[in-house]
Amino acid sequence: MSTAGALDRTRPPLSEELRPLELPLFHRFRLDNGLKLLVAENPKLPEVSLRLILEAGAAAEQPELGGVAELTGRLLSEGAAGRSALEMAAWLDRLGAAFGASVGYDVANLSMHFLSDVSDGALDYLRAVVREPAFEEEEVARVRQERLDEIERHLDEPAVLADLRLIRAIYGDHPYGRPAGGEPETVASLGAAGVAGFHAERYVPDGAVLIACGALDARAFSDAVALRFDDWTGAGARSELPSPSSASAGGLILVDREHSAQAEIRVGRIGMEYAAPDFFPATLANAILGGLFNSRINMNLREDKGWTYGARSSFRFRRGAGPFVVSAAVESAAAAGAFREILAEIQSLVKRPPDDGELRLAKNALTLSLPRQFETPSLVTRKVATQQIYELPEDYWETYADRVEAVTPEEIVDAANSRIPSESMTLLAVASSAEVRPMLEEVGDVSVENAESG
Amino acid sequence: MSHSSSPPPRSRDASEVSFDFDERVLDNGLRVVLHEDRAAPIVAVHLMYHVGSKDERAGRRGFAHLFEHLLFQGSQHVAESEHFKFIQNAGGTLNGSTWFDRTNYYETLPSSHLDLALWLESDRMGFFAPGITQEKLDNQRDVVKNERRQAYENRPYGLAFETVLRMAYPEGHPYRHPTIGFMEDLDAATLENVHEFFDSYYGPNNAVLVLAGDFDAKDALRRIDRYFGEIPPRPRPASVEVPPPALDGGRRGTIEDQVHVPRVYLMYHAPSFNEPDFETSDLLSHLLSDGKSSRLHHELIYDKRIAGEVHAFTWPTECAGMFFVVATARPGVSAGSLEEAMLESISGLRGDGLSEDEVEGARNRARRVLVQQLNGIGGRADAFAHAAVLRGEPGYVNDAFARYREVSLKGCAGLASEIFDDTRLVALHVVPATEGEEAEGKEAEGEEAE
Repeated sequence: MSTAGALDRTRPPLSEELRPLELPLFHRFRLDNGLKLLVAENPKLPEVSLRLILEAGAAAEQPELGGVAELTGRLLSEGAAGRSALEMAAWLDRLGAAFGASVGYDVANLSMHFLSDVSDGALDYLRAVVREPAFEEEEVARVRQERLDEIERHLDEPAVLADLRLIRAIYGDHPYGRPAGGEPETVASLGAAGVAGFHAERYVPDGAVLIACGALDARAFSDAVALRFDDWTGAGARSELPSPSSASAGGLILVDREHSAQAEIRVGRIGMEYAAPDFFPATLANAILGGLFNSRINMNLREDKGWTYGARSSFRFRRGAGPFVVSAAVESAAAAGAFREILAEIQSLVKRPPDDGELRLAKNALTLSLPRQFETPSLVTRKVATQQIYELPEDYWETYADRVEAVTPEEIVDAANSRIPSESMTLLAVASSAEVRPMLEEVGDVSVENAESG
Repeated sequence: MSHSSSPPPRSRDASEVSFDFDERVLDNGLRVVLHEDRAAPIVAVHLMYHVGSKDERAGRRGFAHLFEHLLFQGSQHVAESEHFKFIQNAGGTLNGSTWFDRTNYYETLPSSHLDLALWLESDRMGFFAPGITQEKLDNQRDVVKNERRQAYENRPYGLAFETVLRMAYPEGHPYRHPTIGFMEDLDAATLENVHEFFDSYYGPNNAVLVLAGDFDAKDALRRIDRYFGEIPPRPRPASVEVPPPALDGGRRGTIEDQVHVPRVYLMYHAPSFNEPDFETSDLLSHLLSDGKSSRLHHELIYDKRIAGEVHAFTWPTECAGMFFVVATARPGVSAGSLEEAMLESISGLRGDGLSEDEVEGARNRARRVLVQQLNGIGGRADAFAHAAVLRGEPGYVNDAFARYREVSLKGCAGLASEIFDDTRLVALHVVPATEGEEAEGKEAEGEEAE
């Protein structure tokens, strides 16, 4: 084989011409009952990814029915359309298909993945679980108990416990202050009537969006959906979230978990909503601060200090103002140092604005990654779901890169100033109090919570 | 309403799925697998070395993984912390991972940056040594120790797998220890060890390079030769002998942890990834726990209501395969009664307990999972590399669809009878720590303390 010229290894090779991003073409339909269909053809492999987005998230719950959205999602497949829970399971498993109901604060996202040769069967199954779930008292009681057991098990995870206690501290009584799946006290009192009521009110075609991508014919697939859903009825009811008022700004909480091998730490506050006008500057600010491997916080805590396997920050964007959170699991002896360094890095974003290299990295990571983010049918339906759930412009992904590129360093500093001021952060550690409390007292006034109760 | 005028896509089923690929070997012994897929302007570059934790020497458990971390710390022409930056600056994603039998380094990035990936991977294969320092070693040692704390020590049930391995294999066995290693061995690692390890295992003739995605195969091969061709081969490392497991049974143990409910780990010595029955073994795991109609879901969670979670899975190791069945108790259920019920469900797969319909469902689920694993170029590159390194045949990726389709009911029942046997079983109970005591492991009967 011939090699053209000597290879210069001292400099990275230059990029060649970038093929422009080609986003999948979505065919749009709307049934008379309001159900929106967005369907894209991708015949590469014999698979289909489907999502049905419903206005059935936890933010729509009455506070005393906390957890009903999650429980409803779980019960859809536990008996429906004259079939028992076991018969439903056998049906889905014989098709070889996967079905899941992911319920967040904003919406319920019912997702399916199946091979295209069972598309009709998969749509029959979807029709049954969405339109005719049985919600038999016995199954409701069983799944409710499974859910309560699961909540208890999850609290064994320091990371889960840390997230839970942090949102409670920063949101208080606002719906975002409790987990989307509900808390044991309210879950325990849920019954079939509450679940059926939530389903009747929220699982309706008006406001629902069905997104599909894969080896299908858009017209034929849409007809197949219409056949099963065009006589579905129900008017939409979109709930309005109260604005979060900063329940507690600042403070240092220590959740005492004896025998912890590490300290699971969080630094956070109320962040912002997905549709905020400064979404792009804030997203870039986060990428520079803690959204990427080479971000300031990770370079400091991991690559300089060696205190952690990894530290990151993120905005958890929602319809309302979701939290901004920095998270890391650090060695216990470094807990106080980690808090100080994280706060210093947050301040540094304002004091030491991003340089050209940081800005380039953050922008490229967001824009040049787009072809990758649309690679498979499941990824495509997820991206389109985001655009739909947050009511972003129809050309959102087409114009995304341009919007990122247009952001200036000044706008990033402004966003950092207004969205993540270091002085309003709540600090939290799940750790062994005996090990970390004395050093944390030097960071601020510590309020100690018990890991088990409260 | 808009309307599509394009012709309907060709109807086909998953058994027709096949991915074209080319296989070449460079003069220096580097095996190259090239799989073109021009659908999106991206390329996956996957370099898999045939070295893993099983190759570590005594007193250096965890070294292969620590070494993997060091390979991200720069090389002769790539400065410290630049590796991640270069790839992310190109819009790519990247990582590495270490396992019993292999270590991989991979990135997926815009195809316009293919040369960047080849430059980075060839620099750390050919010019690694000048970049490494004691300071980098010390830093990444701390990072890895924190990884061990985060992913194992401070996580519920986090020490279960390493305990099972210690119970399953005798002192000195290559699979006896977990990839993450142990603190004292990580502390003992020296710069000299780093150089030795690199010289022994990181030659081009001990690796497979897979490209999947948007490139022209001929052109890509020229580029690969340009970047990797000049790296000299090394003496091939002696392959570690993995003795077959002793099938003497009676391996049981209990450890305590900071958890609310017990969990039971059952491990059976089973076919490895390289044995003809691997797909049958994998299908048994689908029969046991994939889907709510699967045996363990149906019997333990739905009928008896004694378990909160169940998982059965195979580890596709090069030798000495492992089949795990893991179940978490509901509150108030003892580990002992849970284990009894698990064993009963498992034994239901033997003899004439299975139905044709049940096996057909499991085959359908396995095929769907396979499509999902291979629908992205990153997953496909990984599968090609894994098959090339462990089996010596990248084409296994395509054969797999037919092999799963051909698994029969009789084959499932036969293999279940063979492997779900007391002589092959290792059973570990993880139970809530007793009030007021340290949450430390009680060693399994007949096992030595670490």
